[in-house]
Amino acid sequence: MAVIEAIATTYLEADAASVTFSGIPTTYEHLQIRMSSRNTLASTTGNPTLEFNGTAGTAYSSHSMNAFNTTPDSDSSETGDASMLTPKQTTGATADAADFASAIIDILDYRNANKNTTVMAISGSGITTAVPFVSFASGLFDDKTVITSIKLDSNGSWMRGSEFTLFGLASS
Amino acid sequence: MAAFTVIDHEELTGSVASWTSTTIPSSYDHLLLEVSARQDGSYHAVNCYFTVNGAVDYGNTNLTASTSTPASARAAGYDYIDVMHTPAASATADTFGAISVWIPNYANTANFKPMIMRAASENASTTNAQWNLALVAGLWNSTAAITSITLDAYGSDNFVQYSTFTLYGVTGA
Repeated sequence: MAVIEAIATTYLEADAASVTFSGIPTTYEHLQIRMSSRNTLASTTGNPTLEFNGTAGTAYSSHSMNAFNTTPDSDSSETGDASMLTPKQTTGATADAADFASAIIDILDYRNANKNTTVMAISGSGITTAVPFVSFASGLFDDKTVITSIKLDSNGSWMRGSEFTLFGLASS
Repeated sequence: MAAFTVIDHEELTGSVASWTSTTIPSSYDHLLLEVSARQDGSYHAVNCYFTVNGAVDYGNTNLTASTSTPASARAAGYDYIDVMHTPAASATADTFGAISVWIPNYANTANFKPMIMRAASENASTTNAQWNLALVAGLWNSTAAITSITLDAYGSDNFVQYSTFTLYGVTGA
């Protein structure tokens, strides 16, 4: 088995509210999602979220540090949420046409039933006429259940042409 | 040839003050270290100490956040890079931080050794300094090849059971 393998890729031929990777095998040590996405929300940016194993409730916390246009900030206001605010941003419908944001999401030790699931994600877009952004975000799913599915919710609609690939990284 | 090879992997079966990978072969182009760790100190989030070859003369430039205002800083002349944090004893139970370190051209003997680090210390808290994010550009000011990597816990603290350390060798075509 190769150390890094593509588990699944979803390329959207039509707008979709969410993308879900399910049936994730437990044969890897770490997971990584690489995505190119755009939201249909009437905004320069969209706010995607992650949900694991179909579990909503109040188990999620999120933190981030960001630069929106020329202004840096960080956000620690999110605990007790129904989903994880990572990656922090994607592009929205009023961004430059055909401008898709990119993001890399790392989910380490996802199959370890002794650990809650934590995530770190970097995302950004150098939008030319709207609000460019770059973000480094983290999230906590206060649940030790092995991760078998990941839902990337657009909180609007992922635009046609968005692409999501889930990789598995082995440790032996 | 596979692009990624596992050089070393360890899941701790008990608490240890330090993790080291020794005798790193020079046969790869780059190194990638992935860490999922927690420490047993009395704080919510504490830093750990990254070194290669047990050497001195490290520098770094970093962007961090643990409050509503990000901060940037730089340091030079230290014998470690200590910007990366993990959750500690007061953080949400069973929560481990994520650290990723990319070291390009680690075996070359012509240039200093740069490294890019990302670290996220999560906690179900909105309180300042009870969580930490860090992006770090590190540099070991040496032309020697990297043959070992060490991550030390903060002070007299320890990395706890179930912390994992995975070192990959990355090969170009």
